[in-house]
Amino acid sequence: MNKTEASVTIALAAIPNSGKTTLFNRLTGSGQATGNWPGVSIEQKSGSFVLGEHSINLIDLPGAYALSPVTEEERVVRNYFLQSPPDIILNILDARNLYRGLGLTLQMALSGLPMVVAVNMIDEARRQGISFDLKVLSQHLGVPVIELSARTGEGIPDLKQNLYKVIKYPEKTRNPHISCPPLLEKAFSEITEAINQSGIDTRLDHTFLAMRQLEEDDPEQRANDDKVAVVTRQWYRRLKQSLRTSIPVACASCRFNAARGLAMEVLHDQPAFEDQLTKQLDRIFLHRFFGLPIFFLLMFLFFQGVYGLGGPLQELLSSGFDRAGTWLASQAMTLSWPIWLQSFFFDGLWQGISVVISFFPIIALFFLFMSLIEDSGYMARAAFLMDRLMHWLGLDGKAFITLLLGYGCNVPAVMGTRILTSSYSRILTMLLIPFTLCTARLQIFVFLTALFFSPVIAPLIILSLYVCSFGAVILTGLLLKFFQIGGTPEPFIMEIPPYRLPTLRSISLRTWYELKDFFSRAATLIVAGVLIVWLLIHMPADVPPGSAATWAGQLGHMLTPVFHPLGIGWQETVALIFGFIAKEIVVGGLAVIYSGSDVAGQMISHITPLQSISFMLFCLLYTPCIATIATIWSESRSIKITLLSLVSGLGIAWITSFVFYQSGLLFGFH
Amino acid sequence: MTTTQHMPVSALQPQIECIIRSLGSDDKTVQRLAQMGILPGTHLHIIRIAPLGDTIEVTGDQGQSFALRQQEIAAMTCEPVAMPLDSELVKVGQTYRIRALVGGKTFRQRMERSGIKEKKLLQIKKTGNKPVLVRQVDLNKQVELGRGEAKKIIIERISNEQN
Repeated sequence: MNKTEASVTIALAAIPNSGKTTLFNRLTGSGQATGNWPGVSIEQKSGSFVLGEHSINLIDLPGAYALSPVTEEERVVRNYFLQSPPDIILNILDARNLYRGLGLTLQMALSGLPMVVAVNMIDEARRQGISFDLKVLSQHLGVPVIELSARTGEGIPDLKQNLYKVIKYPEKTRNPHISCPPLLEKAFSEITEAINQSGIDTRLDHTFLAMRQLEEDDPEQRANDDKVAVVTRQWYRRLKQSLRTSIPVACASCRFNAARGLAMEVLHDQPAFEDQLTKQLDRIFLHRFFGLPIFFLLMFLFFQGVYGLGGPLQELLSSGFDRAGTWLASQAMTLSWPIWLQSFFFDGLWQGISVVISFFPIIALFFLFMSLIEDSGYMARAAFLMDRLMHWLGLDGKAFITLLLGYGCNVPAVMGTRILTSSYSRILTMLLIPFTLCTARLQIFVFLTALFFSPVIAPLIILSLYVCSFGAVILTGLLLKFFQIGGTPEPFIMEIPPYRLPTLRSISLRTWYELKDFFSRAATLIVAGVLIVWLLIHMPADVPPGSAATWAGQLGHMLTPVFHPLGIGWQETVALIFGFIAKEIVVGGLAVIYSGSDVAGQMISHITPLQSISFMLFCLLYTPCIATIATIWSESRSIKITLLSLVSGLGIAWITSFVFYQSGLLFGFH
Repeated sequence: MTTTQHMPVSALQPQIECIIRSLGSDDKTVQRLAQMGILPGTHLHIIRIAPLGDTIEVTGDQGQSFALRQQEIAAMTCEPVAMPLDSELVKVGQTYRIRALVGGKTFRQRMERSGIKEKKLLQIKKTGNKPVLVRQVDLNKQVELGRGEAKKIIIERISNEQN
């Protein structure tokens, strides 16, 4: 192989919870790019760095336990290895528990591709008093093994040196041997023989391919060659009859038997280690009585930390932005612009950018706290505590946290669905978050209830709206579960990792990447959305903005047959169109539409209390805002999911308001 | 071959240890467990049950800690080897070895006075919701234990005595 000129592709492959992301960040620094794996809503991260004269393209594969896929993520990893094998595999083992990861390591070592194994979290292992003989591991696997700590940076130069050596001399010496039951061994060798004869051109080891053929349940992945296919099918049938387990389980047994022996040898027969600190902490955090109160206290602090701190910052930023806009608008240069351009620039573009920027503080704080919870290991505990409640909705426990944070703001909550391990729960949670009553919607409700109801009744109405939001989340959850919108649920078997102290570096890096990501992925869509709404409200140019003659007003009139049964007039319909930008401006929108001196008085004379509740219900349930939709799109990368969210929000909002208003009328309210 | 038994959901409680004989019937779950290194022959140790129930934390014999749900454990065939004395898995007439006493110092001292300490054999005379009646084999002495006490005494099956 001549790889001196071209860039070298290294794939980072490891089981979940082995510090993959930390090592990826450590190696690539700021040279990262995100995209999507073809055909699925799973993020593809790649980064670049330089090793001597080589430029390296590092691909961060999703976490996988094995190459026989159970999850969507594992399917991505399997396809990647079979269809476009990387130049080098960089595999990670968790020093605290080698056995866990060795199954995958052995499988990868059999692939015949050059590989380097990084034994990560060596600092944690040392703290627990674990000592190893990594030479033994290296000899068995036939690849270099380097101990390191991605968190502290220890061992990274050593890793780079070894990667460099492997690039220079990519020939892999030999494959490890894994003994299997004789019948399986025979099957492997016969299929290997057939593959040898087929004259297939591949860098993958033929025995490895034979194992893949036999373990594969997806017919698309089966060999094209007839002979190979026939031999595989024969053996498949024969093994199915004589093995007491399925073929993938039998193969996993062989690998883990070898892994157990290997781990014992490397660890000098020391018994499995118990992390005393983790044991003690779990006695508190997972306590039968105190576990849940502690969890809710932490969630309260999380919520307050994000929104209590982020809310004022958000206001500060957007008011600063507004003031800068006003100042800019009063400058001679901009005053000389035509009126429509001034309006487009300040009420459209400037406002759009202001919406994007104002999200920065809460997204930053959100991910700061989120990575704290995740990196420390508490997330798995939270999921354990809340699992039962969420299981009922077809979700796992981690979804609870993202849903809860939706009650502050939907945008970071949707971004937070990334912590969920299965794409099934990710999609489900993403579709549920828009029904959580965020603080922006709360502003509308506070304004309207104060206007239409006595101070005694108003809080009760707001409380009922919260109840209604919980109800919408639960009902939609059950519906989505019933129709299996997110695909089939994946088995729930969650690893509970030991606690660790998060580092400032990894937390700030993560926060920085998330901010960058939000800006690059959702920003354009948000600004475009704001501009469209601006057009609707300001066109045609010769009428007052937001009035009946504008496109928005015409649309409001056009939609009268749709909204009349809900008791919502054309003015409020236009306000709802405003609400697409952000719920905060619905109230301001109403003020523009009912332009005049006494806006409140006009509204009270136009709208009945019943109608106002119907309007609030609609506000609660329909599309939260452009930013949320843009985030759902950028997280799911799926038009289908985004449209489903839009349509289900509007549909559920309409039905609820309709039922409420019509039955209100029936009962004699008006 | 030993006769194996399903672990009934009602018997799931902390301190139980069992050996997996079969991983169950759901393909995806079985494959996931196998790929995590949880295979037939693995010793599972039940650590705790979530405050709201249903979700259970277990550790494997290689020190992996993970959570799964009742239905997954119920689907496995997992042969109990150790359990608290108050467990419904304890069979009348059988003799067990004491593996550990999980109470505090005073509890241990009190138990020791009746000859109940690690490695000693106990034959079960009576179980159920009332106090547990056992015979300390070495001393040939009957001891009556309250539920609370029985919960803190972990007993294991004697390996050569298969039922």
